[in-house]
Amino acid sequence: MKFINLIFKSLMRSKRRTFLILGTLVLSVFLITILQSLLATLDSVSNQSTEGNRFIVRHKSGLTQFLPISYGDYLRQQPEVIAVANSQWFGGYYQDPKNFFANFANDHTTMFTVFSDTVAGMTDAEIKEYQRDGTGCIVGQILADKFGWKVGDTIPLTGTIFPISPRLTIRGIFKARLASDENTLYFHYKLLEESVPFMKGKTGAFWVKTKTPEDLPRLSNRIDNHFANSPEETLSETENAFYLTFVKMLGNIGAIIHGVTIAVIIAITIVTIGTMSMAFKERTTEIAVLRAMGFSASRVLFLLMGEGLLLVTLGGALGIGLASLVAKILREVLGSALMFLQDFRLANETILICMGLTLAIGLISTIIPAIVATRKSIVEGLRAL
Amino acid sequence: MNQSFKAPIVHIHNLSKSYFRETLEIPVLQGLDLDIPSGGFYALMGPSGSGKTTLLNLIAGIDRPSGGVLEVCGSNLNQLDDDELASWRNQNVGFIFQNYNLIPVLNAFENVELPLLLTPLTRTQRKEKVEEALTLVNLMDRLENYPRQLSGGQEQRVAIARAIVGNPMLLVADEPTGALDAKNADEVLAMMQKLNEEFGKTILVVTHDPKAANFARHQVHLEKGVLDKTVEVNR
Ligand SMILES: Nc1ncnc2c1ncn2[C@@H]1O[C@H](COP(=O)(O)OP(=O)(O)OP(=O)(O)O)[C@@H](O)[C@H]1O
Ligand SMILES: [Mg+2]
Repeated sequence: MKFINLIFKSLMRSKRRTFLILGTLVLSVFLITILQSLLATLDSVSNQSTEGNRFIVRHKSGLTQFLPISYGDYLRQQPEVIAVANSQWFGGYYQDPKNFFANFANDHTTMFTVFSDTVAGMTDAEIKEYQRDGTGCIVGQILADKFGWKVGDTIPLTGTIFPISPRLTIRGIFKARLASDENTLYFHYKLLEESVPFMKGKTGAFWVKTKTPEDLPRLSNRIDNHFANSPEETLSETENAFYLTFVKMLGNIGAIIHGVTIAVIIAITIVTIGTMSMAFKERTTEIAVLRAMGFSASRVLFLLMGEGLLLVTLGGALGIGLASLVAKILREVLGSALMFLQDFRLANETILICMGLTLAIGLISTIIPAIVATRKSIVEGLRAL
Repeated sequence: MNQSFKAPIVHIHNLSKSYFRETLEIPVLQGLDLDIPSGGFYALMGPSGSGKTTLLNLIAGIDRPSGGVLEVCGSNLNQLDDDELASWRNQNVGFIFQNYNLIPVLNAFENVELPLLLTPLTRTQRKEKVEEALTLVNLMDRLENYPRQLSGGQEQRVAIARAIVGNPMLLVADEPTGALDAKNADEVLAMMQKLNEEFGKTILVVTHDPKAANFARHQVHLEKGVLDKTVEVNR
């Protein structure tokens, strides 16, 4: 520890050079961390959120068209179906349009079956309370934490698509595996249907839960065929279908991200080797003086390595810190536009890998110049003046 | 006071050193014999290229001879491996260079403290010793100054403090006044004289300035790799 002052001051010898290389390191580590975290987030979203036996039935001509609620009768008649929940994106905000989060009008009974994975952790009493209160709502834990909401609070929700602004009483707070699923509010479908005249007997979509995932292709074909020649044609889409294309795309993104990561690592290693070589070379005489004084070659090697490792540790920590800051900003600012970004976090595993990579870069790029510098004989070093 | 009865601190017999340029052997020192008694103050003189620095480096244990006996401060340097030699230097030799060779990023205090970092001394003990050494060279008021904030004479005095802080038996100096003006040179040489006379340090100084050499008690002349007789200086 008594050498830390020497190591630190030696590193700060040429401040400009040190800050340049530090900046390069910070940016590289930042880039690697963000890219790898992005990949990890996409991975976890595509791995976790698919309940294989759920699909959505919506209007064939787009999400802004409505289907008759009566279609639900046919859906419920199908032998493979366990439950059906009407669902409508409400698109309201709380107090300020910037306070955006997902909010839906959903069937207040069947939704607990259909979304048993993404709306979980509520007691039976809470569920009953919610189902009893037509102006009740339930909110995800993250959302509740964000606004400091408690059960019993009344939330005014200002509509943007629909000309109503209901005041909803929180009857329960639920949990989900993904942050994006917890960042959601649900209220009674009946409230929307009864207070918005043009929604009478209409719904944006039906979420359908079947007994097994194998039922899906057959069932969705049957449904779409059944309504094929009616005025409101349907389109049945599985969550899986969406995620399958997503995962395929992910394969390519993954390859690109790993490629970029490797390229950045190689580039930063070369740059660091160059910088450290130059820094050590300038100190040839000084190193010889230290050794004349009794510093052994391995001690000097240790000091030089210490400099390199201090530099990359600093660069790595700042890079990762910057990345987690940017992740937070992405989550909070862009998370409302791109749902999956709400789950964008630096996983501990990613942080560890990136820190390990940085240290490896530091080790490799310092040890070579350090060995060269300490191999030189003392006498040669003293003559180098 | 006649010190030549004491055991020699430097004992050299038939010492030789050659450099190799590819396969070509370039002999620099040939069959040298030299004894320096403990407490001696020797000036090593001779024309440029005669091998003064080479001999000093061998005695100080930063270079290896090609052959011969080399015993310094009670150790046979030929028998020490590189790490043992490094720790031997730390305990036994203080270096003073022509260009001071202070570490520019460290202040005077930190420069002087450097050799002590290799010892088991505590921080407080180190501080005590550093201050003692800097007091001896009259630079207690310059503790926090960096080398670039010091004059050449002051820098060399910091270097002297650094050389003596670990209390080594032997001080070696290669042209210590080569970069100094006459006034500062005299001051530095007088300081070395004091270290020799009052603190009993054995000193070997390389110089081709006869005036500087007169601060020593003995003068040795090196000519084309061969030592001339040792001359006692009359003061
Ligand atoms: N690494 C080396 N390789 C080859 N020859 C060398 C090497 N180092 C020193 N020499 C030669 O050894 C001889 C003695 O050099 P040395 O530096 O000891 O001389 P010196 O007496 O100190 O000279 P000066 O007064 O100029 O400092 C010179 O001829 C020099 O060229
Ligand atoms: Mg010389």
